[in-house]
Amino acid sequence: MTNAISVNNLTKKYDSFTAVNGISFEVKEGELFAFLGENGAGKSTTINMLCTILEKTSGDVRVFGHELSKEDDEIRKLIGIVFQNSVLDKKLTVGENLMTRGAYYGLNKKQIKTRLEPYMDDFEIGEIWNRKYEKLSGGQRRRVDIVRALINEPRILFLDEPTTGLDPKSRRIVWDYIRKLKDEKKLTIFLTTHYMEETADADEVKILEHGNIIASGTPAELKSRFASSKLIWYTDRAMSKEDIIKGYEWSYDADHYNIKFNGSITELLYRNSKVITDYEVIKGTMDDVFLNLTGREIGA
Amino acid sequence: MKMYIGLTKRNLLVYFKDKQAIIFSLLASIIVFALYMLFLKGTFIDAIDTVLDRAPMLRDRINASDLDTLTGLILLTGIVGSAMITVPFNCLQTVVNDRENNVDRDILATPVKRWQIVLSYFTASGLSAMIMNGIILSIGLIALKMSGDIHMGPAGIIKTYLVVALGCLSSTALFMMIVPFFRSSSACGAFFGILSAVSGFIIGAYIPISQFSDKVQTVCNVFPASHVTILLRSTLLNGVLTDIDKSIGGIDNGAFTDSIRDIFTFRASMFGQKLMLSQMSIYVMAVFVLSLVTMMILYSKRYKK
Repeated sequence: MTNAISVNNLTKKYDSFTAVNGISFEVKEGELFAFLGENGAGKSTTINMLCTILEKTSGDVRVFGHELSKEDDEIRKLIGIVFQNSVLDKKLTVGENLMTRGAYYGLNKKQIKTRLEPYMDDFEIGEIWNRKYEKLSGGQRRRVDIVRALINEPRILFLDEPTTGLDPKSRRIVWDYIRKLKDEKKLTIFLTTHYMEETADADEVKILEHGNIIASGTPAELKSRFASSKLIWYTDRAMSKEDIIKGYEWSYDADHYNIKFNGSITELLYRNSKVITDYEVIKGTMDDVFLNLTGREIGA
Repeated sequence: MKMYIGLTKRNLLVYFKDKQAIIFSLLASIIVFALYMLFLKGTFIDAIDTVLDRAPMLRDRINASDLDTLTGLILLTGIVGSAMITVPFNCLQTVVNDRENNVDRDILATPVKRWQIVLSYFTASGLSAMIMNGIILSIGLIALKMSGDIHMGPAGIIKTYLVVALGCLSSTALFMMIVPFFRSSSACGAFFGILSAVSGFIIGAYIPISQFSDKVQTVCNVFPASHVTILLRSTLLNGVLTDIDKSIGGIDNGAFTDSIRDIFTFRASMFGQKLMLSQMSIYVMAVFVLSLVTMMILYSKRYKK
């Protein structure tokens, strides 16, 4: 896979405050790349620089081979962005919003309508075409925001906390659309979020804190490195049983042992298959990863 | 070009789709009209009567309908003059709202050039002001025409619309320099309230500027809008004053119409010096060009974050 984005030592400073501190990473074409971090970690600042909205202080960035700050116009043609807050005009209808935005890319009416055609049914845009944007529900607005971001047929879609403020049902619907775009259109997706579970499908996750990348990898790698899994063994408490789990961090609650482990527990289960009969294994979560890395839960 | 037109169209839609904003942008003009109905017309007539009292023999020579047209056109000048200030500013609040709601980021991430973004805000605001003022002017002229002769030929009418266009563009250019300094729409709205209240005084819609002291006149005439209003007044009233002059038949050597021109301010005064119409036009053009240059410098800095 070729690189959609290559970032080398990217920095953004505001006077004495460093919002992004010399970060480096690569986004492969067609992958779902996620930036995870609290508010103020530097996620949106990074996206705004990559999208040519903010000027970088220093560093080398290439988007599909085009150099940031030198070939910004070329980059702008290749990107689509769904911002954290809706940026469409509330008094205009969905149709008016999309038609005017399409014109920003030099498209005429016919071209815009042709490009929107696939989304009229898929994203259910047709039925809300003549409705004012301000009259739409949160989920409908996000759908329109996503379609707006796709109007120029971008090769990479930036999603800056796309589900913040949405109810769980709308979040699920929005994610169904995003997965569809990734799977069917092979779109590269650059996501920033502070919802841990949203990174579960990511091909690569970077965790940001105070403008620095403090960990990276696939969700599975991060969980295996930074989150403990848990074996719950339903049994009576007995000294002999505690000998078996010696060497592990464990506790006993009511009717079961909680045994923390990193990596694999298969060998322990295999060796003691006659004793450990009623059990369940709970894998570590991205919440655990973040908690272990930063010492606090996200949003806390 | 398509991008610039698209963005301009969007800015126009944002203004014209907000009916409340349209009404508020015309608030100063509505107030001028309401005050005219309440007492301003009486004040204008009293001022004309004062002149006629000095030369009673002119009373019978001047057509009463010409005096009605005269006061009506002075009112129309006040209404249009106020709208030339308030409509462009109200439309330019889009710049502040876009910044506050991060809409400008959505635009900045598209291939639309930075200068096209600035120019589209300017164009949309100027066009909105021209459309609104064009409608007001047309309604006013039609209403006055229906109640009497306005003594204006096609050339005079075209000239009037051109003066209004100049006024709209010069106000827009001036306000383009001011709006980037507002960080929130509420601050901008508060300023707009003050502007609506003050605009009528600056252009002499309530009290003719000539009634003020030299210093106050100079302050009022710093604003190109007051010069444009004077140009508009001169263009609109020229026909009816010429007709009154003809009716009088030259027995006062034009003293009556000269007095009317003095009272209702047909020449701007700056630092005690009366300016010619050509000098006023040059002043407005100079401020317009200066504002355009400053606007491009200001916005290029603003978009480099």
